[in-house]
Amino acid sequence: MAATRRLQKELGDLRASAMKNFTNIQVDESNILTWQGLLLPDNPPYNKGAFRIEINFPAEYPFKPPRINFKTKIYHPNVDEKGQVCLPIINAENWKPATKTAQVIQALIALVNDPEPEHPLRADVAEEFQRDRRRFLKNAEEYTKKYAEKRRETTSAD
Amino acid sequence: MIQQFTMSTCEEDPSMSGFHQLSVTIETASLKSSFFLKPNPYIELSVDHKSPRKTEVSKSTLQPKWNEEFTVLVTPYSYLHFRLLDHSSFRKDTLIGEKKISLYNVLSNYNGKLENLELTLDLLSGNQHGYIQPKTGDLITLFDRLKIDMNTVAPPFHLRHDHPAFGNTSQMSVSPPFHPTTVPLDDGVRARMRSQGTEDVVPSMIVQPLMYRNSSNNFQDCNSAGQSDTEPSSSRAIAVYTPFFSNGTTSSDNNGTAGDSVSPETSFLPLVQPPAQPCSSNITNQVENLPQEEPLPAGWEMRHDVYGRRYYVDHNTRSTSWERPQPLPPGWEVRRDMGGRIYYIDHNTRSTTWQRPNSERLQHYQQWQGERQYVVQQGNQRFLYPQSHQAMAAGPFTSIADEDDGLGPLPAGWERRRQPEGRVYYVNHKNRTTQWEDPRTQGQETMDEPPLPYGWEIRLTEDGMRYFVDHNTRTTTFQDPRPGVPNGPKGMCRVPRAYERSFRWKLSQFRFLCQTNAFPNHIKISVSRQTLFEDSYHQIMNAEAFALRRRLYILFKGEEGLDYGGVSREWFFLLSHEVLNPMYCLFEYANKSNYSLQINPASYVNPDHLNYFKFIGRFIAMALYHGRFIYSGFTMPFYKRMLNKKLIMKDIESIDPEFYKSLIWIKENNIDECGLELYHSVDFEILGQVIHHELKDGGDKIKVIEDNKEEYLRLMTEWRMTRGIEEQTKAFLEGFNSVVPLEWLKYFDERELELMLCGMQEIDVDDWQRNTIYRHYTRNSKQVLWFWQFVRAADNEKRARLLQFVTGTCRVPVGGFAELMGSNGPQRFCIEKVGKDTWLPRSHTCFNRLDLPPYKSYDQLVEKLNYAIEETEGFGQE
Repeated sequence: MAATRRLQKELGDLRASAMKNFTNIQVDESNILTWQGLLLPDNPPYNKGAFRIEINFPAEYPFKPPRINFKTKIYHPNVDEKGQVCLPIINAENWKPATKTAQVIQALIALVNDPEPEHPLRADVAEEFQRDRRRFLKNAEEYTKKYAEKRRETTSAD
Repeated sequence: MIQQFTMSTCEEDPSMSGFHQLSVTIETASLKSSFFLKPNPYIELSVDHKSPRKTEVSKSTLQPKWNEEFTVLVTPYSYLHFRLLDHSSFRKDTLIGEKKISLYNVLSNYNGKLENLELTLDLLSGNQHGYIQPKTGDLITLFDRLKIDMNTVAPPFHLRHDHPAFGNTSQMSVSPPFHPTTVPLDDGVRARMRSQGTEDVVPSMIVQPLMYRNSSNNFQDCNSAGQSDTEPSSSRAIAVYTPFFSNGTTSSDNNGTAGDSVSPETSFLPLVQPPAQPCSSNITNQVENLPQEEPLPAGWEMRHDVYGRRYYVDHNTRSTSWERPQPLPPGWEVRRDMGGRIYYIDHNTRSTTWQRPNSERLQHYQQWQGERQYVVQQGNQRFLYPQSHQAMAAGPFTSIADEDDGLGPLPAGWERRRQPEGRVYYVNHKNRTTQWEDPRTQGQETMDEPPLPYGWEIRLTEDGMRYFVDHNTRTTTFQDPRPGVPNGPKGMCRVPRAYERSFRWKLSQFRFLCQTNAFPNHIKISVSRQTLFEDSYHQIMNAEAFALRRRLYILFKGEEGLDYGGVSREWFFLLSHEVLNPMYCLFEYANKSNYSLQINPASYVNPDHLNYFKFIGRFIAMALYHGRFIYSGFTMPFYKRMLNKKLIMKDIESIDPEFYKSLIWIKENNIDECGLELYHSVDFEILGQVIHHELKDGGDKIKVIEDNKEEYLRLMTEWRMTRGIEEQTKAFLEGFNSVVPLEWLKYFDERELELMLCGMQEIDVDDWQRNTIYRHYTRNSKQVLWFWQFVRAADNEKRARLLQFVTGTCRVPVGGFAELMGSNGPQRFCIEKVGKDTWLPRSHTCFNRLDLPPYKSYDQLVEKLNYAIEETEGFGQE
C-alpha cells in the first residue's frame, strides 16, 4: 500500500523521536490508517491531564490530509463538542504532501496551548476565553479534572 | 440470529393508514438511584407530540408502579413519546428520562399485530450535552389490541436516518426461521409477547420480497438463473419507485446521519460468528475497546491476514474490505435475488439497490429526490438556438387569437399557442411539430447573421421561403441585402474561421448530419411513469440502434396523447434525472459540487452495470440527435473523453481539487529532500476496499524522485482520470456511438457539448450580481462595474459561456446563484483581482472564482474576457 509505506516511515520516526508532548502512540496493526495517542499540553489549564486524540489517514494519503479527533473531552475554543478540531495545517487549502504527522501534532499542541479565539469552533467558549478568563480557566480545569486521562510519570512510545 | 421479517406476500394499494386504537398500559419503571431525594415519578405519554396523557404521581420512589391503561389513537407511522417526570409541588416538574419510539418499527416487527406485547424501554436523560444520552432507568409498558394489516401500510416514505431516539429496526438477516422471545427493535427497546397465543409465531422467512407492486420480471433476463428456495418469486434489484405516498410523518423529525449515531445495542447479529477477538497485543485490544463496536452485520466475518491486519469478509457478496461494515440504517433489509446476489431493500421508500447504504449515500439520495419536483420545471426553462423541432410541454395550453404584431398572418397550418406559464410557442399541424420560434421570423437569428440594414425586414412566403422587405423603398426581394459572409481567413470546410468557430455554425453542421441520417417513420417508446427507468431500458436496448434515430413517439401509459414534442422532452428530462438516482450506483456527483456527474467507480456492485452504461450511452446520443436536453450534465473531463481528447493534470482539478493540489505541489517543488516516501504505485478506496495499483511494472520498487517525477505525474494523471471507470466509459461510448457516431461531435469542444446537451437557461443577471463576492476588489471597483456592464450587454450564449468558464457548468442551481456550490460546499461566484492588465482572465472552477486582472479600460476588459471565453482549449482555466 502506498500510504502504508509512508505512514510506517512516519510512525517509526515519530516513535524514535519520542516527543514529550505526544505519547502512548497506538496503532492498530490491522489498520495503519488510524492512530491514537495522548496529547500532553504544557500550558494551564490543560497541563494537568492527558488528552487522547485519534488521527485518521485517508487511503490516498499523502495526497489528502489526515483528520484529527479528540477522543477525550476538552474545554477549548477550537475543539467542538464532538471532538473535532479545526487545524489550518491540515485544511484542504494548506495541505502539502510533504507535511509530516509530527508537524501536524506540533501544530495541534500549539493550538491547544494557545487557543485562537478568533477562529473558534465553540463561539461560547471563545467568548468566555476573551471576556472572562478566570471563569474560562476554572471551567477548563474542571473539564480536565473530570474527563482527561491521568498523566503517567514515564511514558514509552509503545 | 434474529428473525424478523414480517410483511408478507400480497401487493395491495398501500394507502390505508388511518387512525387505529392502541391500548398502552404503563406498568412500572425502575430508576437509577442518583437522586438526593427520591423522586415523585409519573409518566407523560404523547402521540405525535399531541394530547399528552399522564399517569398518577407515584410518591417518593425509584420503583414506581402505575398499571394505568390508556387508549390512544395512532396511525401506523405514529411516534410514541414516553417521558418520566419528577413531580414537584413548588417548582416545574423535571424530566428524568424519556424515550420516543416509532410505532411503525414495532408494527413491522410483529406483522401489524400488537397483542399482549411487552415493551421495555430505556429511559434516557434529556440532557444531551454529553456525547451520549445517559440512561436513567427502564420503563415497562404493555401494548395491546392493535391489529393492522401490514400489507395495507406503506413504509414511511421519507428516508429515515438513524436517530438516537428512534434507533435501529431489525429489518435484516436472511436466516432460517427462528422463534423470537425478545426481538430487538429500536435502540433501547426490548419486546416480548407475554402470553403465547396460537399465532405468535412470527411468519417465517420472506415468502416474496416486498416488491411493491412492481413484481414484473423486467430484469430477469439479465439475472443469472438459479432458483432459490427461500425466494420463489423474482425480485429485481434495481430500484423501483412507486408514486409518492403521503403519510403523517415528515422527515423533519429525523436528523442526524446513519452511522454516526449507531449505538452499541444493535439489532444485527452476524450469521457467521467472527473469530474470537485477537489478543495479539494489548495495544490492539485497548484501541479496539475505545469505540464501542457493534456486532458485525449478518454474513460478515472478521479475519486477519498474514500480517495480522484485520479485514472483513462479506460472505454475502464474497468481497473483502478493510473497513468495518456499518449496520444497515433503519428500515433497510438485505436480501438475495434468484441468482444469489445480494441486494438491499429500503422499506422506507420501497426501493432496492445493489449498494450497501451508508449515510453519505442516503444523503445523496435525499438530495436527488428533492430535485425531482424541479425537473420538469427546469426542462421548460432550457433552450438553445432555433432548430427544427424545439419541444413543447404537453398539457394545457391556450390558443392565441391572432394579434397584430406587425408580422402578418402565420403560414397555413400553423397555430400560435401559449403554455400555462405564458410562454408562446408555435404548432405546425402539417408535420406535427412544435417550436418556440415564430415561423415568420425563423432563421433571422440563426447562423450568426449580421443585422439587416435599417428599415429592412425578413418575411416568409406561404411555403416558408424567406424574402426581404425594404420599408424604405417599399420593395421586396429574395436577395439578401446584407453583405456576404464575414471576411477573414478561411478554415476547415472553406468558410471563414471566425464563422466556423461560432457555436451556431457548428450546431447547424451537426443538425445537418442528423437530418441527412434520419430514418423514416417513428419509433414508439411506451413507458410507465412508475417504472420509467426499466421500461425505457428495455425498449431502448431491444431496439436496433439505428432505429433510435427515427422520429420519437413517446407515450406515458395511461396518458395517451400525441407526442408533439412535449412528451418526449419530458421523457428525456425525467429519465436523465432517473439515471442519477444514487441508488442505482451508476453515476455520482463529482466532489460535492451539485451539478456534474461522473461514473461511479463502485458501479460494479450492480452486476449489470455495463449494460446500463450502454443504455445510457444510447440515451444521451438520442438526446443530442433529437435535440432534446437532459437534466444534469457530466463533468468536463467526461465530455473530453467523449471527444477523445487527451486528459491533462488540470482536468483533475474539477473532479478532485485536493488531489490536484498535491500533484501540483509535487510538480512545483523539489521533492528530493522532503521525505515523501512515494513510489510508482498508488492506492484508492472503493466501498471500503483499498485497491492497490502499480503505475508501471515494478512500480512498487521505484521511488519517486526529482528526476523521474515528470513521468510519475503523467502516470498519476492518467490513472486518476480513469481509475475504476474504464469499462463503464467504454460501454457508455459504445452505446453512444451506435446511435450517433462519435465523429459527429468533432466540431465541438467539451463546453459546447455541455451546452448542447443541457441547453441554456435564461440567466438572471440581477440575481447573479447580488450573489457575487469580491476579493481585492469592491463592488464599486471600476473593473467590477465594467464586468457587469459586459455581462448585461452579452447575449445568453455568452453569459452561459462565461458562467461555464468560471463555474465549470452553464447551469444555474435551482435556487439561483445563492446556491452555487463549490468543491467544498456552498461557494458564491467570486471575482478576484489578480495579476497585471496584460494577463488574460483565469478561472478556478472548483471555487467559482474568476481572476480578473485590473484592466485599464472597458474595451480591454471585453477583449480579454471574450478571448478567454472563446478560446476553449484548456486556456486560462486553472
